[in-house]
Amino acid sequence: MDFNYSDMQRMLLDSAERYLGDRFTLEHRRAARSEASGVDAEAWAAFAELGWLALTIPEAQGGLGGSVEDMAVLSTALGARLVVEPFASTAVLGAHIYARSEGDRSAELAAIAGGEARVALAHDEPGERYAYAAPRRTRVTREGNRLVLNGQKMLAADAPGAGTFLVTATIEGEAGTAIVAVDAQAAGVTASPYPLLDGSRAADIAFDQVALDVEAVIIAPARGQAVLAEALDRATISLLAQAVGSMESCLDVCSAYVKERQQFGQPIGKFQSLQHIMADMFVATHQARSGLYMALAASEAEPAARQRAVSLASITVKEASQLVSRQGLQLHGGYGMTDEYEISHHFRRLMVIEKLFGDIDFHIRRVAAS
Amino acid sequence: MDLRPDESLVAFREEVRRAIAEDLPADMEARQRAFGGIQSEIGDTLAWTRIMARRGWTVPQWPVEHGGLGWSPMQLFVFQEEQDAAYAPTMSWAGSHMVGPVIYTFGSDEQKARFLPAIRNGEYIWAQGFSEPGNGSDLANLRTQAVLDGDKYIVNGQKIWTSTAYASEWGFFLVRTDPTVKPQRGISFLLIDMKSPGITVRQIPMINDDCELCEVFLDNVEVPAENLVGEPGAGWTYAKFLLDHERTTSSFIFFNKREVQRAKDIAVAEGLARDPVIQARIARLEAEVTALEWSVLRTLAGEDYRYDDTAVASVLKVTGSRLQHAITELQTDLLGAKATRLFAVEADRRDPAPLWPEHVPGRVGAALGQRAATIFGGTLQVQKNIIAKLAFGL
Ligand SMILES: Cc1cc2nc3c(=O)[nH]c(=O)nc-3n(C[C@H](O)[C@H](O)[C@H](O)COP(=O)(O)OP(=O)(O)OC[C@H]3O[C@@H](n4cnc5c(N)ncnc54)[C@H](O)[C@@H]3O)c2cc1C
Repeated sequence: MDFNYSDMQRMLLDSAERYLGDRFTLEHRRAARSEASGVDAEAWAAFAELGWLALTIPEAQGGLGGSVEDMAVLSTALGARLVVEPFASTAVLGAHIYARSEGDRSAELAAIAGGEARVALAHDEPGERYAYAAPRRTRVTREGNRLVLNGQKMLAADAPGAGTFLVTATIEGEAGTAIVAVDAQAAGVTASPYPLLDGSRAADIAFDQVALDVEAVIIAPARGQAVLAEALDRATISLLAQAVGSMESCLDVCSAYVKERQQFGQPIGKFQSLQHIMADMFVATHQARSGLYMALAASEAEPAARQRAVSLASITVKEASQLVSRQGLQLHGGYGMTDEYEISHHFRRLMVIEKLFGDIDFHIRRVAAS
Repeated sequence: MDLRPDESLVAFREEVRRAIAEDLPADMEARQRAFGGIQSEIGDTLAWTRIMARRGWTVPQWPVEHGGLGWSPMQLFVFQEEQDAAYAPTMSWAGSHMVGPVIYTFGSDEQKARFLPAIRNGEYIWAQGFSEPGNGSDLANLRTQAVLDGDKYIVNGQKIWTSTAYASEWGFFLVRTDPTVKPQRGISFLLIDMKSPGITVRQIPMINDDCELCEVFLDNVEVPAENLVGEPGAGWTYAKFLLDHERTTSSFIFFNKREVQRAKDIAVAEGLARDPVIQARIARLEAEVTALEWSVLRTLAGEDYRYDDTAVASVLKVTGSRLQHAITELQTDLLGAKATRLFAVEADRRDPAPLWPEHVPGRVGAALGQRAATIFGGTLQVQKNIIAKLAFGL
């Protein structure tokens, strides 16, 4: 075993830290939130330029063929600088679904790699709770040799900045769940966008008699469930790595703050009760990174083992993220409650990550059932 | 020991409940139910105070000669509990519970005549100007200076976290009038007209999109010397009196009781009421809240206890603030992925998409706001320091 980064991973991380450190400052973040798409277009073009959007796409399909570990290394850097651009949605989840699709999707993958295309998964339906294995009420019916899509999706993360929605749906007369690609601008598609707590965007999306051609079915119903599960696990790994990066930033931010902030004539970091809080945060963050590595090691395992590992890691990382962000806020006193200090941004980002693609409760249940 | 509830309270509770039900406007109730505590409440606060003023019920806890009603501590408990349970707005707290008692206890006759009726009638909002950028927990070292110049003070300095300062007509400030003595001895309690020249207020954007907290900059602000309350140099004593005055409110017992019930309602709405994991979380919180209520009752009934009163007050604050966290965390978790949405834009608040159940908007904003429970009014760490010192002499 070797836990040290490869030369290539070191380079990837260095360039990511350099680029993101310069651009993704707190001021940038606060200003960029007003962008309705939730995407900094210039930065997204740079992500493509730097090869990040091609990272996980197989070489045979025109990508860089990077490993899940490479993707996680980059994700930690994104999380550390609170980048909410839809890397996980597009370059991990979306790219994986296309890479596993029926037929040749090299054009779509090239568009993702080049930064021209962003995609968002539209899975949740009203009244659901992380129902990734449940049949979809959203339906595709056949009219002659055309397909027609009807249904209602909720909380499609990153949808407002996406040109294509990857929609899970039942196909008339077939068992299973298909994944169909739908142009966000197609007639009959109505997206109602809104901001999430971390400044990213999501949408509820209604599909009303949306005409599709047969090519739109990128994953057939027989394989949909399995591919969706893989894609979600990968996206979850990216989010867990982002959370680890964010937590590590919290440690930096808090250790600097308690050294600088003075009360009662001394830095508050001199109070032992705060030293112990910092120590607890350190312990939790260390465990979180270990949990992430455990999941990475199982990322290519057979589905049951992979899912169990991802869920165990999710419990560890997400619980750690709550401890770190809550205590980090507490250490800042009133300043932690403001939008003007970085810690509250980590708090909100970690809160969103905890709830995306399965919260702690969801993963506890998945482990219990495994 | 007699642990039976006082029979006479049953009829009193009925009367209060009926009055609130009659008086509380439906739109105000709906606003408070969803967004109480996280959006500007000044309008509702003043409106509700004025409505209650018609019954003479705005300052029941004050001495009778200043408009109080002579209710027993248990009656006052029931009165506040019923208001909170009904989602009535909180009546202007800084006036009725903070500066009011200081004025009627230590103020001049002119100050009493000028300010007490306005507080009773809900004429305007008060701001509490204690904390400074460099002095939060260590309040005694505050630096805002007031220098006597003939018949006025010239005030210079900066305050922060001054709730609702931007909309307040008056503020009560702790200022340093004597820099030569021990820090606690050089502080005075000054009432300042917030419209005075030299005052600039900036609203601070917060974690939940709310911006009720402010920074207040004081630049050569002239304040008539008659606005000093009591003795110069006694401000620290008055501030302690004010903070000690209501030892049980820091438990947020009514909030905690109501919000546990709300969590149960949300569990039902989310189809999780029979889920053992959720049931266990709720049961634990209910156990803690009921014990906290009894802790509050012990204090209210004036129990003669072996430990220092201030240490016991910190027990209420520590437990209450932790429950404020835990209960709103549970509410957030019950929403699942729906908890990620920021209900920020006014339009969202009024008209969320029909797909969104009405128990969702406002809950996460409130949960974010509740993180402050372990920060304001003495942080969790400071409370524990107090317990260690006063209960054990450590
Ligand atoms: C929502 C809200 C409303 C408020 N409203 C008002 C208001 O209307 N008027 C007003 O004057 N003020 C108000 N405050 C200010 C509040 O009283 C202060 O935030 C509080 O006193 C803490 O001070 P601080 O923020 O400077 O934190 P600090 O004192 O800087 O604390 C930072 C960290 O250090 C820790 N710490 C400090 N001293 C010690 C110690 N001795 N031992 C161990 N740990 C320690 C704290 O626990 C905290 O974790 C409000 C605050 C909030 C959050």
